[in-house]
Amino acid sequence: MTTFELLEPESVEEATNLLAQHGDEARIIAGGTALVIMLKNRLISPGYVVSLGKLDELHYIHEETDGTLRIGALTTIREVERSPKVQARCPTLARTCGQVGNVRVRHAATVGGNLSEADYASDPPAVLMAARARVRARGPRGEREIPLTDFFKGFYETALAPDEVLIELIVPAAPPTTRSSYLRYLTRSSEDRPCLGVAAFVDVDDRGICRDLRVVVGAVAETPQEVDAAEKLGIGQRLTAELIQTIAEEYARSIDPLSDLRGSAWYRRQMVRVFVRDAVQGALDDGKA
Amino acid sequence: MKRIVQLRVNGVAREVAVEPHHILLDVLRQEFDLIGPREGCGIGMCGACTVLVDGVPLSSCLMLAALAAGKELVTIEGLSTGSELHPIQQAYLDHNAFQCSYCTPGFILGTKALLDENPSPTPGEVREYLSGNLCRCGSYVKILDAVLDAAQRLHSASEAGGVSGSLGPGANT
Ligand SMILES: Cc1cc2nc3c(=O)[nH]c(=O)nc-3n(C[C@H](O)[C@H](O)[C@H](O)COP(=O)(O)OP(=O)(O)OC[C@H]3O[C@@H](n4cnc5c(N)ncnc54)[C@H](O)[C@@H]3O)c2cc1C
Ligand code: FES
Ligand code: FES
Repeated sequence: MTTFELLEPESVEEATNLLAQHGDEARIIAGGTALVIMLKNRLISPGYVVSLGKLDELHYIHEETDGTLRIGALTTIREVERSPKVQARCPTLARTCGQVGNVRVRHAATVGGNLSEADYASDPPAVLMAARARVRARGPRGEREIPLTDFFKGFYETALAPDEVLIELIVPAAPPTTRSSYLRYLTRSSEDRPCLGVAAFVDVDDRGICRDLRVVVGAVAETPQEVDAAEKLGIGQRLTAELIQTIAEEYARSIDPLSDLRGSAWYRRQMVRVFVRDAVQGALDDGKA
Repeated sequence: MKRIVQLRVNGVAREVAVEPHHILLDVLRQEFDLIGPREGCGIGMCGACTVLVDGVPLSSCLMLAALAAGKELVTIEGLSTGSELHPIQQAYLDHNAFQCSYCTPGFILGTKALLDENPSPTPGEVREYLSGNLCRCGSYVKILDAVLDAAQRLHSASEAGGVSGSLGPGANT
C-alpha cells in the first residue's frame, strides 16, 4: 500500500473544502471496509484520505412525525439492523441490513459508505431504491437531494461529485397498507455477497387491487434494475399467481445480466425469473410495511 | 509521514508512531507484540484478526491504526485476569473447541461480544452471529457447544455475584 496523508475534518464544511482543495487526489474514508481493501489491492492510491470519523453530527436515526426515517450517513449497517425505529417503519430494510456480510463488517460499514461504494453486489441499494429513498449530499456549492433511482450510475460510480459528501439517507414512510420483502440468493458461502437480490414493495387496497408495485433487482447488472413496463402490468390489477409469473418473465426478459464468479448471465436470468416471482409473492403473503 | 497516536489496548494507553496507511492488525502484532490477532484473509471475511473496539467486534485487518486512536481496544490477551482465564476461554478449552487454534482468538472475542449483547443465545443465534468466523479445521460443532456452555457459566457466575475475569470494554480503566 502506498502511503497518503490522513485528514480528519471536524465538520462537513471542512470535509467538503478539503475534498474540493485536493480534487482527484482525495478519497473519503468512513467505515473503511471497502476503502481499505481498495488501498491494499492498490486499486487506488490517493494522496489524501479524508476521514469522516470525527463527524458525530452524521451519526443518528431520526423518525419524523409522518414516519419518514432520516439516517445520518455515518450510522452503521448494524445500527440500522437493530434500530427499533427502522424495525417498526421499514422492517425489510432492517432485515436486509442484518444480512450484509458478517457482524464485524456490519459494525464498521456505514450507510453512506455502502451507497457511495456503489458495488453492484450490495444488498441495501435494491431495498432503498424500491422504498423510493433519497440521499442528501453536501458540497462546496451547497446541498442537494438525489433520489436513489438517479444515484447509481455504473460500476462503482454514483451521481456524487468528487467534492460532495453523502450526509443523509431519507426513507419516506410507505402507506400503511404497503407490504415488502427482500430475497437474497447466495451461490457460494453464507457470508458472501449475493448472486442476486430482489426487493419488492407492493401496495394493495382492501379489494385486493394493486395500487403500487416496485420491484428492484440488485447484484445482476452494473446498477440495481427496475423494469417499469413490468411493474405497470401489475398496477390496477389483482396480483394473481399467473400475473406475478408474467411480471417475473418480463423482468427476466428485460434485464441484461452480467456474468461473474457467483453466476453466469444465463443462470442469473433464470434466477431473476424465480426470485422476482417469489419476492412479490412473499411480500403479498407475509411482508409487513 | 509518521504521526504519534495514543492507542488504548487492553486497558493500557501507549503512544506509538504509525504511518497513515498502517493497518491496526500489523501495529498490534509488531508494535504491541500482541500476536493473538492473526491475519487469515486480510479482507474482512475470516475473523482471525478480530479485536473488540469500544465493545464491538471488528476486523483489525480493515482498520487504519491511526483511526483507532481514542478507542478502547481489547485483544484476546486482555480477556484473562492474571493467570485466570475468562470463563469463555475456559469453556473453549474444556470443549476442545479447536484443533490448530489459529481461529480461536477471533472466535472467543466474537463470543464475548455476542454474550455481552445477548446473554442467552439460541444455537441458531450463535451460528448466525459467528457465521463470519471461519475455522479451517472445522471445529464448528465443538465451538457451538463451548459458546452455549460459556453462556451458562457466565449466567451462573453472575448469579453467584460477580464474574471473575469479566472484562467489559474499559472495565480495567
Ligand atoms: C467481508 C465483506 C463482506 C461484505 N458483504 C456484503 C454483503 O453481503 N452485502 C453488501 O451489501 N455489502 C457487503 N459488503 C460491503 C460493505 O457493505 C461495504 O464495504 C460497506 O458498506 C462500505 O461502507 P464503509 O463505511 O466501510 O465505506 P468505506 O470503505 O469507508 O468507503 C466506501 C466508498 O464510499 C466512499 N464514501 C464513504 N462514505 C462516504 C460519504 N458519506 N459520502 C461520499 N462518499 C463516501 C469512499 O470514498 C469509498 O469510495 C461486504 C464487505 C466485506 C469487507
Ligand atoms: S484477517 Fe481480518 S477478517 Fe480475515
Ligand atoms: S482450529 Fe484450526 S482454524 Fe479453527
